[in-house]
Amino acid sequence: MEDPDAPLVERARRGDRWAFERLVERHQSRLFTLAARTLGSADEAADAVQETFIRAWLGLPRFRGGSLFSTWLYRIGVNAAHDQRLKRRTEPLDDTREPADPQNSFHASELSSVLQEALSQLDEDYRVAVVLYDVLGCSYTEIAELTEVAEGTVKSRIFRGRSRLAELLGTRTAEE
Amino acid sequence: MVPETHPHEIELLEYVEDELPVARRDEIATHVATCSVCAEQVQRAAAGREALRETTLLELPQGRREEILRNLPSPEPAPGGRRGFFSKQLLAGIAALLIVAALAAVLVKSGGNSGIESSAGGTAGAAEATATSGGGGVEDAQAANLFAGGSPDEVADDLQRKGFKATVQKDRVVVHGATKDQVREALADRGPGDVEVVVKNP
Repeated sequence: MEDPDAPLVERARRGDRWAFERLVERHQSRLFTLAARTLGSADEAADAVQETFIRAWLGLPRFRGGSLFSTWLYRIGVNAAHDQRLKRRTEPLDDTREPADPQNSFHASELSSVLQEALSQLDEDYRVAVVLYDVLGCSYTEIAELTEVAEGTVKSRIFRGRSRLAELLGTRTAEE
Repeated sequence: MVPETHPHEIELLEYVEDELPVARRDEIATHVATCSVCAEQVQRAAAGREALRETTLLELPQGRREEILRNLPSPEPAPGGRRGFFSKQLLAGIAALLIVAALAAVLVKSGGNSGIESSAGGTAGAAEATATSGGGGVEDAQAANLFAGGSPDEVADDLQRKGFKATVQKDRVVVHGATKDQVREALADRGPGDVEVVVKNP
């Protein structure tokens, strides 16, 4: 499959910051959505996205193009979000900060929704699988590649993740 | 009546996603119609999917993109790719030594001013290299030649498309018959980079 990012990636590999900025523009929303939906916090997600792009920038010279650039980037994103989650265990979340602008208020409302609460209760593997498949529209093959498991495992995770999510949403709805 | 064997969850997902061959899809539809366990699983998977697909992409908070770009560290050189700082410095040093040796040879041979004048007038590109490399630094070398983003081949192709006589020579792009200003203007849309472009205007 031809990688639509290939020309920019080739330039960015040689240290061209302008080309890398275009790649950041292309992928920032999807990466932020992935991180925000898996972490449930806009601040933590933004930190994870920043870490992802720094790792990608430094790692680009070693990127061989064996997979799509987006697959490689999302793999870094999944790992950065995972690391951010581990960090949270030692550094408690500062949730006293007020959203400073309307966009942040939108994030705050999105990430405190009933759906997000249910999503946060899923096992991390299931959460990552359903967010990649149902929210970002990645294929089974891409998810298998970036989470380093077999396609059958990806399908099981999506099926179980969705079922558990519906169960949690049903419980919440019944409670309200 | 509950059938004895249930389809695997992978097949149930493929059923929900409508990815099964028609014959198998019909078999599972028949099973689901008579099996309350599988029917509930299918219903939940479909409900979970609908809830997730109603969400939209979220935008990075204001100012974070700029912060990310501002905080990017210096890149590591690509293996076998772009020339790094040390190779540039080394090349500049070698060039400076060669030029000093050549000048010394000319002075010794001619013993007068005429040789130097004809040498300087004959090769403007070399004279420029003398002045800059003699300064001894990478910054001076960069001031003398132009640098552009992309690979040498891409830069040369770009310039050829714009009507310049550009060739790739040892990882550098050499342009003949144009002024540096003309080439700089032609490269303006490529963004910064480290492909060295040498302009020779005899």
